Amino acid sequence: MSSIELDSVSKRFGSVEVISELSLTIHSGEFIAFLGPSGCGKSTLLRMIAGLETVNGGEIRIGGERVDHLPPGARGVAMVFQHYALYPHMTVFDNLAFGLKNIGTPHDEIARRIEEAARILEIGHLLQRKPGQLSGGQRQRVAIGRALVKDPKAYLFDEPLSNLDAALRVRTRVELARLHQQTRATTIFVTHDQVEAMTLASRIVVMNARKVEQVGTPMEIYGRPATEFVARFVGSPAMNFLPVTVRDRTGLATAVLGDGSIIDTDVPVDLLSAGGELRVGVRAEAIHVRPDGAIPGKVEVVERLGDRTHLHIRLKDGSTLVAEDTGVSQVQPGDTVPLAVEGATAHLFDDAGLAYHARQ
Amino acid sequence: MAASEHIVGRGIGNKLILLSVVLVAVIWMLPIAWTLLLSLKPNSELMISTASAFHPPYTLKNYTDIFQSSGVFRWLWNSAVVSVGVTAGILILSSLAGYGFARAEFKGRDIIFVLVLLGLAVPEQAVIIARHQMFSDLKMHNTYPAIILPGLSSAFGVFLMTQYFKAIPKDIDEAAMLDNASRFKIFWKVLLPLTVPAQATLGIFSFLGAWNDYLWPLISATKPEMFTITVGMASTQTNFAQSEGLGFLMAQAIFAGLPVFIVYLFFQKYIVRAVAGAAIN
Repeated sequence: MSSIELDSVSKRFGSVEVISELSLTIHSGEFIAFLGPSGCGKSTLLRMIAGLETVNGGEIRIGGERVDHLPPGARGVAMVFQHYALYPHMTVFDNLAFGLKNIGTPHDEIARRIEEAARILEIGHLLQRKPGQLSGGQRQRVAIGRALVKDPKAYLFDEPLSNLDAALRVRTRVELARLHQQTRATTIFVTHDQVEAMTLASRIVVMNARKVEQVGTPMEIYGRPATEFVARFVGSPAMNFLPVTVRDRTGLATAVLGDGSIIDTDVPVDLLSAGGELRVGVRAEAIHVRPDGAIPGKVEVVERLGDRTHLHIRLKDGSTLVAEDTGVSQVQPGDTVPLAVEGATAHLFDDAGLAYHARQ
Repeated sequence: MAASEHIVGRGIGNKLILLSVVLVAVIWMLPIAWTLLLSLKPNSELMISTASAFHPPYTLKNYTDIFQSSGVFRWLWNSAVVSVGVTAGILILSSLAGYGFARAEFKGRDIIFVLVLLGLAVPEQAVIIARHQMFSDLKMHNTYPAIILPGLSSAFGVFLMTQYFKAIPKDIDEAAMLDNASRFKIFWKVLLPLTVPAQATLGIFSFLGAWNDYLWPLISATKPEMFTITVGMASTQTNFAQSEGLGFLMAQAIFAGLPVFIVYLFFQKYIVRAVAGAAIN
């Protein structure tokens, strides 16, 4: 397996720059996710690595070798497409064999590799069928199999689960994780689904509006989001944001809400830029209904999820937030409840969207 | 109760539709049946009354008379060569052009495509004198290439294949590129097999069009040994064929239509699809 290095790569479509001087190193054997909303440039970046899009600036290296001038087939990568892209007129066996035949792999070697991939993916009984005779999940396995038989330097997945139903998506996600543990292959996984990124990736690249917002492990992304966009995009429900003013509490910031309530954060005051508006960011699981809670709020909507309950609450100053309660919560819409916030997990965001966290 | 009434109602509706369809089919078949009946009657009887077609005696003499004409098998062969040549040429050229217009990126592509489509609006009659002159200057009249070549410029074929190639997801090409396939291999091994339904549709229309073509073979082929079946058959008709040789005339029509009938028989599925406009799907 090989590392992948992107060195100041840029991409333009006409006069529109969709990727601007992006640099990133993906280590050998790493499972990395490109996460972001539609149109953020994540698929374009993947396609640039695959060779399906030209690169207008910078360099791409795979395993130390510069590849951005090479055609897709010469880069040694395998890609699994969102819509599978199987060859409809060929059997599953021929789909898997096509790429190997094109590079002159001996017949017995082709048979051996297909047998091995079919065993791993449990598609041995499908080899003589055509893609049209397969279910969505089976097609997905074949598409993965087509990548697997090539024994590539890196696997590229372009939203491969988005066409599967919810149950199958979860199952396939687990299988992909298992497959990666077996192969330890360098993998790039493009998705707009934060759950897929969080559960599969060892590192996540969060992208927005054609630039990288943050690169980090799933827990870094979740626990210490670099920007307000990352904080909003990752996590369900999204992080709560409330406008605040800040008071110095022996070096740490105390956030004062619009209604005068306070949240004692662990964010050092000296990190904050002077002037400008600030917002405190708190996740729902850090806001509880407790008798000793200091922030009163009126419950507008109660969402019961079984193991927990989400309460949509309006504060006295008119701002809203989502709090988390137990699955057996007795709270009803219309109730006024006292809220307690775990200030240690709160973050502050300036008006440029940059985040400030407690020191680690 | 209401549900069963609904089902009964639907059953009657279906039967009425079926009846109407059968009726229309019978109306369409009547002229063919009439032609067949007339072709089996002696010409002398038909000169008295065509109503004699409804009762015996019947004869195959009109058909055997066709074979008395020494050129008929040659004309059949010529038609076959021309039709197969035109069909193969159109399929090859339209596929290549369609792939080019759908997949290759080059300057002026859209303008050239529009120019090709404009060819659909030019009637054959408008260019036939110039075309005749050109082949005359090239001393190509009375040759297979002269009869075949003009038929190869099929704007409809290019349009159909372009649309069909465009409908194939680009992911498939890209998967093949990642599978180390060359541009030609992607065209030949991956995309072309996916266009078989469109090829079948285009092939059938091209074959039938070339087989039934009359005007250009009539102009280009002046020697009897280069006649196609349509031109050859017409050349054997006498001045008073309608009155004196009606049975023979009808036998010629049936005979000339037989290959077309056979093509219909084998490719019925594709023809229905093509006519229904569902070929792209």
